[in-house]
Amino acid sequence: MLGLTSAHKTWMHRLPVGPKLALLALFSVVLFWLDNLWPMLVALVLVAALVASGGAGFARQALRLLQPVWFFVALLAVWHLWLNDPLNGLRIALRLVVAVTAANLVTLTSRLSDMIDLIERLLGRKVALTLGLALRFVPVLGERAAMLSLAWRARSQKRAAWRLVPGLTVGAFDEADHMAEALRARGGLV
Amino acid sequence: MTGTGAVSHGIDLTGAEVSLLGKRLLGPVTLNISERRVGIIGRNGSGKSTLLRLIAGLVAPSAGQVRVDGIDPSGDRKGLIARLGILFQNPDHQIIFPIVEEELAFGLRQMGLGKVEALAQAKARLVAEGRGHWAGRPVSSLSQGQRQYLCLLAVLMMEPATLLLDEPFSGLDIPTARGLAAHLARLSQRLLVVTHDPLVAQAYDRVIWLEGGLVKGDGTPDAVLPAYLTAMEAADAGPDFGA
Repeated sequence: MLGLTSAHKTWMHRLPVGPKLALLALFSVVLFWLDNLWPMLVALVLVAALVASGGAGFARQALRLLQPVWFFVALLAVWHLWLNDPLNGLRIALRLVVAVTAANLVTLTSRLSDMIDLIERLLGRKVALTLGLALRFVPVLGERAAMLSLAWRARSQKRAAWRLVPGLTVGAFDEADHMAEALRARGGLV
Repeated sequence: MTGTGAVSHGIDLTGAEVSLLGKRLLGPVTLNISERRVGIIGRNGSGKSTLLRLIAGLVAPSAGQVRVDGIDPSGDRKGLIARLGILFQNPDHQIIFPIVEEELAFGLRQMGLGKVEALAQAKARLVAEGRGHWAGRPVSSLSQGQRQYLCLLAVLMMEPATLLLDEPFSGLDIPTARGLAAHLARLSQRLLVVTHDPLVAQAYDRVIWLEGGLVKGDGTPDAVLPAYLTAMEAADAGPDFGA
């Protein structure tokens, strides 16, 4: 999450985050309004052109980020072929790919701290801080899960899987307590 | 050398107690602490960390009174954080933000600085410490010793006159621990250090020995440490995990 901003600098990096997000919102609303296939194809060409304008390295990165989407596209294709409604399937798949690509464009070309700043201006310091805390704790909880899994395997031949969940949950509450104390030690949310 | 914004007159505890769920963890304790280097020693569970949290205002006294330079630590948070900083035993319990410079800037913003100014000071401090390249790094990429150091920097940037440290050397390798000790020795702040290491406490102005939540010994290292070590090595001193 921390490394999602693309290191391939593009002209889009220089645009401020606020207008980018506003454009994305507008673009997505219009995209879901469209019923006709042709304007949708125009939207697809538009985002493809934006991706291409960032250069080859940037485009490769944007394509890689689409990987999880292809699975859903395949699922949609099978489902709508089975329903004998391929046109509708194509429409939904197009929407999905175009919307996700557009959203990724914003993520790839914006610094995380700029995003958090924007959220702070729009929704206040508490919400922004919450987002920052969530990002801080994704790697921490991941590490804890890995440690618990190692501790399990050190004393068992079987894999741990779901049985680690209670320990992880208790651990998360524990982390929350420590975090509250750390915030308090430096003045809390004032 | 780190300059301090405020001058500390001292810490006063008067019959202070901390109880949790009807169980008394600490006290009653009456102490006046005005020395520059103070060690707090005692066995596991003797109330050392509780005493630090009480002085830092992270827990309120269930009886008695605590004052840091005349301020009530759990009541006047804003006044306290400008005067006193605390370093937790585990840096991961202390670090709030994912990026190094944000962690350093947080305390300054808490003290009323604007975001841009706070970040600029954080960066300048890192550069001054020879770690300018840390600014944009994720905290998760730092080692244990580096995280400990980051926590110390974050607290020092708030320029407190008093610094509380909970076993700052545990978990560090010998060179790292020695580096930290040298860094601490150069500080002009008043230091209150919880430690298990008699060698560390030997160099301090005063040593306070806690046992079962009460003060068992208090004075110069020469007056307190021999009795402490004798008690720790006595035949009836069972291990903490004993029956």
